[in-house]
Amino acid sequence: MNGPSEVGGRRRVNATERTNGQWLEELSTDSAEIVDRALKSVVVIRNGRRGAGAGVVWDRRGTIITNAHVAARGRLHVQNPTGSEHEAKVLAIDSELDLAALRVDLEPLSPLARGDARRLRPGDWVYALGNPWGVVGAATGGVVIGMGSDLPEMPSRGREWLALGLHLRPGHSGGPVIDSGGRLVGINTMITGPEVGVAIPIHVVEAFVRSAGIPTV
Amino acid sequence: MVMSMLEDLSKATAEAVEMGGRSLVRVEGRRRLPASGIAWSEDGIIVTAHHVLERDDEIGVGLPDGTHAEAAVVGRDPSTDLAVVRLKGSRLQAPSWAGSGTARVGHLVLALGRPGERTLATLGVVSALGDAWRTPAGGGIDRFFQTDVVMYPGFSGGLLIDASGKGLGLNTSGLARGLSLTIPVETLRRTVEMLLKHGRVRRGYLGVGAQTVRLPESAGGQATGLMLASVEPGSPADRAGLVLGDVLLSLDGVRLEGMEDLLNALGPDRVGKSVALELLRGGQPKSVSVEIGERDSTRDERPE
Repeated sequence: MNGPSEVGGRRRVNATERTNGQWLEELSTDSAEIVDRALKSVVVIRNGRRGAGAGVVWDRRGTIITNAHVAARGRLHVQNPTGSEHEAKVLAIDSELDLAALRVDLEPLSPLARGDARRLRPGDWVYALGNPWGVVGAATGGVVIGMGSDLPEMPSRGREWLALGLHLRPGHSGGPVIDSGGRLVGINTMITGPEVGVAIPIHVVEAFVRSAGIPTV
Repeated sequence: MVMSMLEDLSKATAEAVEMGGRSLVRVEGRRRLPASGIAWSEDGIIVTAHHVLERDDEIGVGLPDGTHAEAAVVGRDPSTDLAVVRLKGSRLQAPSWAGSGTARVGHLVLALGRPGERTLATLGVVSALGDAWRTPAGGGIDRFFQTDVVMYPGFSGGLLIDASGKGLGLNTSGLARGLSLTIPVETLRRTVEMLLKHGRVRRGYLGVGAQTVRLPESAGGQATGLMLASVEPGSPADRAGLVLGDVLLSLDGVRLEGMEDLLNALGPDRVGKSVALELLRGGQPKSVSVEIGERDSTRDERPE
């Protein structure tokens, strides 16, 4: 097939057709659409008066993944992108991994498609989503610095981390990292500098969910 | 397969990193975190940052294929923050270098580093390009080259690549605090050749302190010259009979209108040569011959 094609309602073009100088605009549109779609799976998690973190919808039964440090104390309320809010129950929490799984009875919730952090390469484009400084549904973009257990100046050696060249701020905690195809590849957890964000790779999250006995859907 | 443009972009930048990473090594020459180095030639020459090497021997080098080798310092140039080390054995692949002057402000660039086993990368754009400049330690850099890439820990001595994966220069955070500066390939080439030949970068030495002064109109159109405020005893300037108050006009035909001109004139090619120095003494033009000495390169102060 030559020429532009319709895939999932979006106009897509082959690389050879991108000669008319409009490709930067198309790229920018792609970028906005990927973020827009993924934000439908990002929730706000309020912990009493202690400000807000973020979470990502894991499955259709209302499982939400966030950081342990977001879910650690107090009554938790989850707000979905349409603004509905409901109290959440903690299913599992691991402060070592900084992961927590919550359950919330809230419609509509759309889980994010999952990617593979082990296939990410340095230089790959990613976005981190969340609610920095309380700004709901914000995105920051950049590239993968590296993935693995031998990254410099990480707090615990031997654990796998995803280091990202983007701007995480308070309120991004627990939010998703997505790859250039909009797939979930990690969960924001901390920063090691104003321009370096660190995420928990998705396979670590999957292992946590399995060990918590939450059935995969 | 039809991919979104963003996926195409992601693939392209990751592939550029992969390509540049084949010439990127880990350099273990200090107590804390290892730093990065660039494979310069297939015969085992690596160029890295001077400030990341605390010792000259037993430098560990981590190669792109995951193996490990021993290396030793061939020479250092603290004034440009560059060092050359040589591997025992040779399993290196030099980067393909982008043509000089191809970089433009706004171009996408990636900084590569290898403080661990694998290549790491940060993305940015070229922030500023400028003329030749001189570092605070007196080193000549062919072009001012600033980017906004994040210098991740261990990135000093690593490679800056363009969007096609070609090398643009060596990144160091050792030349200016808080700035991501790149030493362009022309400077690398010049410095590596000099370090391989002499083990050091030779810089001329005159032994004077001077300040810029306005010249009388009778001085033939030259607006300013350099008035001597000090002459170091036993220095080339002292031996040539220069005295306080002399106003230097030119050296070996090079006009001296400011200190930068003198520093530039004291390049490696003039070391050991007798050259003509034009000056004003008591308002009268005078010409003396001076033999340019060599500055001790282990001293980090400005040459005079």
